[in-house]
Amino acid sequence: MTAQTPATAVKLPRQTRGKRPHFFDDPALDQMMTFLLELTTEVSVMRERLDTVERLLERDGKVTRETIEAYIPDADIEKVRAAWRDAYVKRVFRMHPAG
Amino acid sequence: MSAQPIVDIETLYRPTHDERARQQFVSTLRKHAIVDMRADLKRDWESRVEPALQARGEAPADWRGIERAMEAEPSFRFYSSVRYNVQEMTFLSVQEPVERALDGMIDVAREAAKRNPAGGSLRLTPNFEVPRYVSSLDIHLIPGSFHSEYTQDDVAQGAVVAFGSKVFGGQHPFRKKAGAVAESVGHWLHLKYPDFKPRRILDLGTCSGKNLFPYAEVFPGAELYGIDAGAPLLRFGHAQAEAAGLPVHFSQQNAESLDFPDGHFDLIVSSFFFHEIPLKSTHKILRECHRLLARGGMMVQMELPNEAAVSAYENFFWNWDTGNNAEPFYTTFRSQDPIALSTAAGFAAEQSFAHLIPDWVTFGEERYRRFVKGELPAPAHGSGGWFVFGARKT
Ligand SMILES: C[S@@+](CC[C@H](N)C(=O)[O-])C[C@H]1O[C@@H](n2cnc3c(N)ncnc32)[C@H](O)[C@@H]1O
Repeated sequence: MTAQTPATAVKLPRQTRGKRPHFFDDPALDQMMTFLLELTTEVSVMRERLDTVERLLERDGKVTRETIEAYIPDADIEKVRAAWRDAYVKRVFRMHPAG
Repeated sequence: MSAQPIVDIETLYRPTHDERARQQFVSTLRKHAIVDMRADLKRDWESRVEPALQARGEAPADWRGIERAMEAEPSFRFYSSVRYNVQEMTFLSVQEPVERALDGMIDVAREAAKRNPAGGSLRLTPNFEVPRYVSSLDIHLIPGSFHSEYTQDDVAQGAVVAFGSKVFGGQHPFRKKAGAVAESVGHWLHLKYPDFKPRRILDLGTCSGKNLFPYAEVFPGAELYGIDAGAPLLRFGHAQAEAAGLPVHFSQQNAESLDFPDGHFDLIVSSFFFHEIPLKSTHKILRECHRLLARGGMMVQMELPNEAAVSAYENFFWNWDTGNNAEPFYTTFRSQDPIALSTAAGFAAEQSFAHLIPDWVTFGEERYRRFVKGELPAPAHGSGGWFVFGARKT
C-alpha cells in the first residue's frame, strides 16, 4: 500500500513482523491458546448481545437489529456487565492449585 | 476563516455493538493477566518454586535465575501466553473500526492542519528518516509500529495506538485515565517547586500528545511542544488538540537531534519512551535535553524503575517484555543507573533524581501534599505510582 491507495481501501496489517515467541514445549499449544482466547472472547460478545436483546425486550417489548446496534448501556448497566465479565474470566481461567 | 470548530476526530470512530463488546472483553482479559495472573505467578514463586530451590541450596542469585526457574512452570507459561495474546487482540480489536473511519478522520486532520483554529501547529518532514529501532520491528506488537503510512496524509496508526491504548488500559486500576502520567508529573512539580513556572514544555516521543496535553492545565500559559518520529500519530494528536482548543506544536523530528535552539525549554518530559531506545541513542537524547534546557530548567522522564531500584523478582517481572513484547532495548535500559545517565549528559549529580511519585488521581491531593513533604511513600511503579528520573540544569 502506498500514498496512492485511497483511504477507503486501506487494509491494515493484522500480523506483527518478527518471530512469535512460544511459551509451551509444543508450539501447537501456543496456537491452541490463541484459539481458546478468541473463542472465550466470542462467548463474551454473544453474552453481551443477548443481554442487550433482553434489556431491549424489557424496555420496548421488541427488538430489531437497528435497536441492538444503537444500544449504549448506561453507567449502571455497564458496571453490571463489567462485573459479569470479570467473574466470567475468573471462572474460565481457573488455575489448578500448583504442586 | 470559518468559525467552524474542528470535529472531535474520535467521534468518527464507531465500533459496532459486537466490536465494542469484544474490546470490553479484551480489556478485562488484559486486566486479568496483568493484575490477577501476575499475583498468582508471584505467589507460585514465593510459596512453591523458591522454597523448593532454597531447600536444594539452589536459590537463584538474580532475576535471570528466577526466569530460568520459572520458564517451565505452568503458572508462567499461561501468564505469558495470555499476556502475549491479549497484546495482539488489543490492536486487532480496533483495526476494523479504524479502517472504516479512516477516510473521515483524515479529512478532519487535514482541516485541523490547514486552519489551526486553536493556534497550534503541525510540522512534518518530507522523507523523514525514521530511526531503525522504530521502523524495523513492530514495537509492543502494534502491526505497522508507530510510523507506517498506508495512504496520503494517513492517521491510521495514530488511531490504532490511541484507541488500542483505551482497550489496553480500559479495566486497569491505574491506567484508565489518559494522560495520568503528565497529570502526576505536573502536579508533583507544582507542589514541590511552587516557583517553577515553565514557559515552554517539550514532550519527547509524544505519540499523539496524550501525556503532554494535561500540562496546559497545570501550567496555564506555557507553550506546549511535542515531537515524535511517527507522522500518523502527530496528525492524529494535532487534530485532537485543535478540536479541544489546545494550542500544541507538533513536529516530526528525531529526538537525538532536534532543531530547537539552545536553552529553548524550561521543562522537558517523556513517558514510556526511553525503554524503547537503544542505549547509544539514549545518551544522545539526554545530551539534547541538556542543550535544550534553560538554566533552572528541569527534565522529568517517566520510565520503568531501573534494575537496582527493585527486587530480583520484580526485575524478572519487568524484563518479560524484552523478548516477549518486541521491546529489545528494555533490559539494557533498565540495567543503567538513571543518575549516571543524567550526569553523562552534563547534569550535576546533586541536581539529578530517580524515584517514585504517586499517581495524581488515585492518590488524591491531600495525600499528595504529604508525599511531597516526605511523610508518605509513593506506591510501586504501575500500581499507583510512577517512576521518574531527571535533573535540574544549573
Ligand atoms: C511508547 S511511545 C510513547 C508513549 C507516549 N509518550 C505516551 O505517554 O502515551 C514511544 C514513542 O516514541 C517515538 N520515538 C521512538 N524513538 C524516537 C526518536 N528517536 N525520535 C522521536 N520519536 C521517537 C515512537 O514513534 C513512539 O511514538
